[in-house]
Amino acid sequence: MQNEKPSHLKELVETREFELNMGPQHPATHGVYRAILTLDGERIQKLNSVVGYLHRGIEKWAEYRTWQQATPIFDRLDYLSAVINCHGYVGAVEKLLQVEIPKKAEYMRVICDELQRIASHLLWFGTHALDIGAMSVLFYGVREREAIIDLFEAHFGQRLLYNAYPIGGVRLDFPKGWIQACRKFLNTFNSRIDEYEALLTENRIWKQRTIGVGVISKEDAIAYGLSGPTLRGSGVYFDVRKSIPYSAYPDFDFEIPLGKNGDVYDRYLCRIREMRQSVRIINQALDGMPEGELKGKVPKIIRSPQGEVYFTVEGSKGQLGFYIVSDGKDKPFRVHIKSPSFINLQGLDVMSKNQLIADMVAIIGSIDIVLGEVDR
Amino acid sequence: MVEENITEQKNKGWKATGEEVLTEAVSKLKEKFGEFVVLCPNPAKEATVFVKKEKIFEVLEYLKTEPSLRFDYLSDLTAVHFPDNEFQIVVVYHLFSIEKKDSLRVKVELKEGESIKSVVSIWPAANWMEREAFDLLGVQFDGHPNLKRILLPDEWEGHPLRKEYPLGGPQENEIRANKYGKPFLLPEDLEEAKKIIEEGRNAE
Repeated sequence: MQNEKPSHLKELVETREFELNMGPQHPATHGVYRAILTLDGERIQKLNSVVGYLHRGIEKWAEYRTWQQATPIFDRLDYLSAVINCHGYVGAVEKLLQVEIPKKAEYMRVICDELQRIASHLLWFGTHALDIGAMSVLFYGVREREAIIDLFEAHFGQRLLYNAYPIGGVRLDFPKGWIQACRKFLNTFNSRIDEYEALLTENRIWKQRTIGVGVISKEDAIAYGLSGPTLRGSGVYFDVRKSIPYSAYPDFDFEIPLGKNGDVYDRYLCRIREMRQSVRIINQALDGMPEGELKGKVPKIIRSPQGEVYFTVEGSKGQLGFYIVSDGKDKPFRVHIKSPSFINLQGLDVMSKNQLIADMVAIIGSIDIVLGEVDR
Repeated sequence: MVEENITEQKNKGWKATGEEVLTEAVSKLKEKFGEFVVLCPNPAKEATVFVKKEKIFEVLEYLKTEPSLRFDYLSDLTAVHFPDNEFQIVVVYHLFSIEKKDSLRVKVELKEGESIKSVVSIWPAANWMEREAFDLLGVQFDGHPNLKRILLPDEWEGHPLRKEYPLGGPQENEIRANKYGKPFLLPEDLEEAKKIIEEGRNAE
């Protein structure tokens, strides 16, 4: 991409590659993440990621707690979608114990998971647009997210980190009037998404900043192990809810939005369309909510069978996996977390090749990383 | 020979319960690699195989390239430390085929100090996963392009996810001692405990 210099200039001017440090404290990295960029003029030739500033040793910590005690720490992985993280861990333990979860609990989990996915996407949507320069979008995004957090506060009693599910089901039924409030929110929300799209989707500046930027091909996206909307933006049909169905997802009718070109704009469209699908799922779940028990049969003191299990859920960032090894005691022997943000960040090197420094901000925003999950 | 080793290890400390799962991929592997592949039981009915260390790279390459299997997606790579076993480290690969929607877990056992061939050339996704396994468990991957610590600082000593590593770090006891060099936990003798508290107050 570099312009060919006239021959007399070549002799006079010596050029060399330049190293630029971006982060660890940088507003566009959404946390403490450092990128060392090797530049040729304004084009990025190589990107070296430095992560680990937020490492808390969650995997080690979990080995020293009983099965139930370890649950709340996993909320702190991706603190913007704590409900789904909790579902991942709890689901893995349930798979190991072979517990049957009542249908009603599964439906309630799906409702909360999808609300959390919308909330997470809304904050991404606001901050991503803010990074690129569209300030007012953030206010709209946060407005709707607030409504969801109010719903969660009424149900779980917390606003950000909920410790949402116990092993075996859900704690309490929805409070009185909650379902009506949820329906009221959903009825207005589709038109709100139209509002967001009116702001950005056909916006000329937005398109110029995002189309053709940060492209990753279908093959590369699979090879680098990307997941979630980052992978689907490249047109790969892989969503854990459809490919490895879990919980009550097989009961619902929904689509997986796919991109075509794998650029920042396609990843943006994927997430916006995903929010509409989430609304569809929640509506179906509210309509078909069965009656029954809230919790399956789980002993108070859990001793799991010896063995290992790998359980994945579709988090708001991608495939979130829990690999648990048990030696038959009351504590896990080893818990490994496959965190989608960590793996997606690997693809940044490919996406940013030959891109301008100014576009780095857009590309980082489009993978939607949460550093709590990257560093664990 | 291989079968013996693995069954021996199974009986020693940690023993997986459940039943062995035979999927299409497992039977194809068994057919092609014979004694190098051993089925492993699993309580949640997930397809799991043990592979001998010498053949691991060939097995994984075969799983990726074989057109009827096509495990093109490396979902996860990690390792587990069993301090009491002869084979202390177990490296675990979780593979997934996006086309066939099939999952497979492949495990390899390593003795203390043994290294294993890196799979970055098969799945570039393994790059950071292998660095993480090296960082936290000290597994050496041969042929990795950049095997450095990733989550911990470069000058860190030890590998925290190994079982002999204490939760509070190698200097756990020193950290627990207070600034006067006294142990943080008060002694059981009441008089002595009172003395220590008094000393602390006076110092402040």
